[in-house]
Parts: sequence; C-alpha cells; structure tokens
Amino acid sequence: MEGEMLKGHLDMIVLAALAAGPAHGYAVIEEIRRRSGQAFDLPEGTIYPALHRLELAGLLSSRWVTAESGRRRRVYALTRQGNRALAERRAVWRQFSDAIGGLLEGARPSGKPA
Amino acid sequence: MISAYLDELAGTLAFDRALSRCVVQEVEDHLREAIAADPAPDRLEAERRAIRNFGEPRRLAAQFAVVSLARRTRRLGIAVALAIVAVLVAMKARVAWYAALQWSMSEDARPLAAIVLRVDRLAFWLAVLVGIAALLHVGRRRIPGAAGPQYRKRLRRARLLCACAAASLTVSVVSDGVLTVLQLGAGLDAASAVPLVSMAIEIACAGAVIVLILDAARRAGAIEALLNIGRQTSAA
Repeated sequence: MEGEMLKGHLDMIVLAALAAGPAHGYAVIEEIRRRSGQAFDLPEGTIYPALHRLELAGLLSSRWVTAESGRRRRVYALTRQGNRALAERRAVWRQFSDAIGGLLEGARPSGKPA
Repeated sequence: MISAYLDELAGTLAFDRALSRCVVQEVEDHLREAIAADPAPDRLEAERRAIRNFGEPRRLAAQFAVVSLARRTRRLGIAVALAIVAVLVAMKARVAWYAALQWSMSEDARPLAAIVLRVDRLAFWLAVLVGIAALLHVGRRRIPGAAGPQYRKRLRRARLLCACAAASLTVSVVSDGVLTVLQLGAGLDAASAVPLVSMAIEIACAGAVIVLILDAARRAGAIEALLNIGRQTSAA
C-alpha cells in the first residue's frame, strides 16, 4: 500500500493496534502487520514518533517494564481519551469508506458523454 | 553495527537529552527484538536488515523533533502561567503583611510609588493576558501527523507570546522591587523579612522563566536547523 496514504492514517492505525491491549513498539508493528494481512508494511521507525505524539496528546499512556531478556522496554496503552478518539475515528472512517465504496461501485462507463 | 546506529541516532537527537536517552533505549529494544526474530542465520545480515527497516536516523530525529518542540513549548506555557501565579501570591502576601503591620510609606516616596504602582499593575495584567494567549495558542491541541511549517509557525508564535509575557512579568517584578525599597525605607528589621522573602520569590520566578525561554529558543534553533536539513534531504 502507498506509504503516503498510510502516513495519513498512522494515528488511527496505531490506536487500533493498541485496542487489543498494552504493547511495546515492536509488538505494535507486528500487530499492524498481522491484522492488515501484511498489507501495511510501514518503515518501522515511523511508529515511534507517532507513539510519542499520541502520548503527548493524552491518547496513550506509557510505562517502562523489564522484559524477559532483561532489557528495559516501554509499553504503551490506550487511555480513556484514546479509546474515545479511536471510536470516533472508526465511525468517521466507516462513513467515509461507505461513501467511497458507493461512489466507486456506482461509477459505470456510460456509452456517451453526459 | 547496532551501537553505531544508536550513537548516530543519539547524536541527531542531542537537542533533547532526555528524549534522546528514552528513544535510544526504545530503539535498541526494537532492533534487538527484530534481530532475534529474523530467520537469517547470518547475524550481521539480520542486523543490517533491522537497521534498514527502521529507517534513516536523521529522518527519524526530524519526526521526534516536532514532538519535542511541542512538548517543550507546552511546558514553557505552563511555566509562565505558574510564575505569574507565584508572583501574584507573593505580591498579595507582601501587601497583606504591610496592612497587618499598618506599615505605611513615607510621604516623600508616595508620588514616585504611585507612578511605579501604575507601571506594575499594567505590566502584570499584560503578562496575565499574554500568558493566557500563549496557553490558548499551544493548549492541548493534537500534534498533526505531518507537522509542517504551519504547525511549527504556531509553536513559534506561542514561544514568542511566552517571551512577551515573561518580559511583562519582569517589568512587574522590577516595579515591585522599587516599591519594596520605597516601602522599607532606610531601615531593615525583623518585620522586613516577609517583604524581602516575597521579593526573592518573585525574582526567582522571573529569573527561572527567562532561563527557560532562553533554553527553549536555543533548542528551537537546533530543531529548526535539523528540520530544514531534513526537508532539503527529502527534496534532494
């Protein structure tokens, strides 16, 4: 899928990936790949600025934990505000998707110009 | 190879040490995990792939830079607001102390005090108004995904408003200092401790805000330079 198209929806994609539960950056990327059927293959680094931005906006919270490997790891979770934002974006997206779907399916080549 | 990549990333994020430490730790965890999950038997190749998939450090730093800029501008707005409140409290405490001790000013000092008081009030309320405008400007507004020149201009404006509020607050604090000197006159005694401490609080608040503004300006300069280089690299 086009990178630019994905970037425009990156916040929604990240919020949706975290809807399943708290996760660290790598797990978020894996979740995005898995749930999109590998269609969304973003440059991995772009997820982290988005996570920081969403945290600053109050849509995510984060905490540091120690992983089994002994490494320090930052785990992100949706806040209540983040859940609300995701629900709103979902609704807007469905509306948009239905409208575009209707538009594209309704477009049939007519024999002569209108 | 990973260490070299992380060093480069830390270097490009040097404008914000706290952010740099945090990001480097996060990215290291990510890269180690990606390498561990890579089925390639050649570890060097797995490292190379993990780094390639992660992206170029300068481009990443440019994306973090906007987040850092927004976070710092927001903190600056809050610091200015807190300083204004602290100065107001110190000012009110001093005036209440004078009233409690029925401490009046000498007749000779009154005409000058009246002028300074007018300047003080004007400067203080100007600081309040401009401070509110700065807070509204930066507020809790979400940072756009592709934070372009428009958003950065907004942050610049917010920083400028903070600087104006700080300048007005400084004038107010200097005026308070003059008023305190006129009020205390020549003699200092135990009762002077409250006005002196309240003045020290005001000076500390104004000083702290000035230091924060200078620091914000320095960091903003470094970030803008990084973003401009990033834009030129993308254009090329």
